[in-house]
Amino acid sequence: MHLRRFFLAAAAVTPLLGLMAKGAQADPISAGDAQAFIASAGQQMAGIVNGPGTQQSRAEALRTLVNQIVAVSQVGDYVLGRYINIATAAQHTQFQDLFHQLLAYNITYQIKAYQGVSFTVNGTKPQGGDVVVDTTVSTPGHPPADVGWVVEEIGGKPQIIDVIVAGTSLRITTRNDYSSVITDNGGNVSALLSAMRNQIQKLSANS
Amino acid sequence: MSKSGRGRFGARKMMLVVPGVVLMTGLSACASAPPKTDVADYQAYEAVNDPLEPTNREFYKVNDTLDTYVMKPVAEGYVDVTNQTIRNHVGDFVSNIGEPARTVNFILEGMPRDACVSLMRFIVNSSFGIGGIFDLAKHMHLPETDTDFGITLAIWGLPAGPYLYLPVFGPSGARDVWNLPYEYFATPMELAPASAALSDFGYAETGLHLINTRAELLDTIDQIKATALDPYATFRSLYRQSRASEVVQVYEAEGRTPPTWAMPPSN
Repeated sequence: MHLRRFFLAAAAVTPLLGLMAKGAQADPISAGDAQAFIASAGQQMAGIVNGPGTQQSRAEALRTLVNQIVAVSQVGDYVLGRYINIATAAQHTQFQDLFHQLLAYNITYQIKAYQGVSFTVNGTKPQGGDVVVDTTVSTPGHPPADVGWVVEEIGGKPQIIDVIVAGTSLRITTRNDYSSVITDNGGNVSALLSAMRNQIQKLSANS
Repeated sequence: MSKSGRGRFGARKMMLVVPGVVLMTGLSACASAPPKTDVADYQAYEAVNDPLEPTNREFYKVNDTLDTYVMKPVAEGYVDVTNQTIRNHVGDFVSNIGEPARTVNFILEGMPRDACVSLMRFIVNSSFGIGGIFDLAKHMHLPETDTDFGITLAIWGLPAGPYLYLPVFGPSGARDVWNLPYEYFATPMELAPASAALSDFGYAETGLHLINTRAELLDTIDQIKATALDPYATFRSLYRQSRASEVVQVYEAEGRTPPTWAMPPSN
């Protein structure tokens, strides 16, 4: 039974892999502001995914929105984790560039899976110094998923820094994924950059 | 002893042997730990807690092949002939069969409220829910809370231990692997007197469970393989986080504050 629950968590989390991180200059945000932000962001996302236009144009619009509402660069730094101290300045810049590219390709690759998506905001709860906005995300042909959006105020505006599904954190999952590549290659950040480039090639061939 | 009885006895022995065999097999190939002088690397190695990674990755490859050529095509065929409503009811039915085992676990965990809710769920869904096909209990403020023997052992204070990736069964751990024999013995069919019909029903139920679960995951597994740089590490991370979260949910459903050790890391 627990395996089924685990996989359902994976189902909800996976399409968003590659998005999340902890903001460097984060300020507390009120529960009301966080909830209003996620309600608005959810409506915009559903509007784009279910809206008119080609898959390419909708993916482009979604990428623009994601860059506005998600702290992508901070997410990247979180995902790099302790290896941020090992990477050279050039490697760090390359990593951030590849991370943004991978995010774009992942959105394009997965937009079809979200056709017909709808969001319901259920409430908020504190988590450390952050606010988690609880939502139910429904997509046709799949069981509804309870998804928590962790929100912080970064640079004066609310930003998503993590997504939590059935207790699984997207930013932790992604960091574990990436750090595994580095540790399996003797601690070389260049191996991660190489794997990211290969992944981009693979996704671009399929998009 | 009847033929079916012998079959079940064989399966009983196998279920008891599985955890031991898996642990012994895993010892045959261990990942080498970094020297303790490399503090950051050593701490990371400890945090991953996957000393049997080379063996686990081999089993992951075996399961992946099995999945690609058997489970996935069967699940795709199943999705073609069913719809989401049917699959939800199948999920409810299978979940209901596991409810008595959860009730016992809640008792063992010292969670009387969870145990009562679980027992009531089984009674309501087995009767008015027509053998569990309909989850009427959740509409009666009796929501499902998941648990198993691995979680019971966690609540008793046993740490998760090294990660294990089992042939056929998938992600597990040195603690959670003991859930396999427990679940096998704690199903209603196993407690009933042996009969060929009951054995056939048990096999059918297990098969249906596997196919229905795999069908729910068709997009998911494709997405993980397409987007994760290291799907094995991604599954490992998701499994660990998911298990830690389930322990917290057991406490919260009981109306108790989870202990600090059960809380997920804040970073």
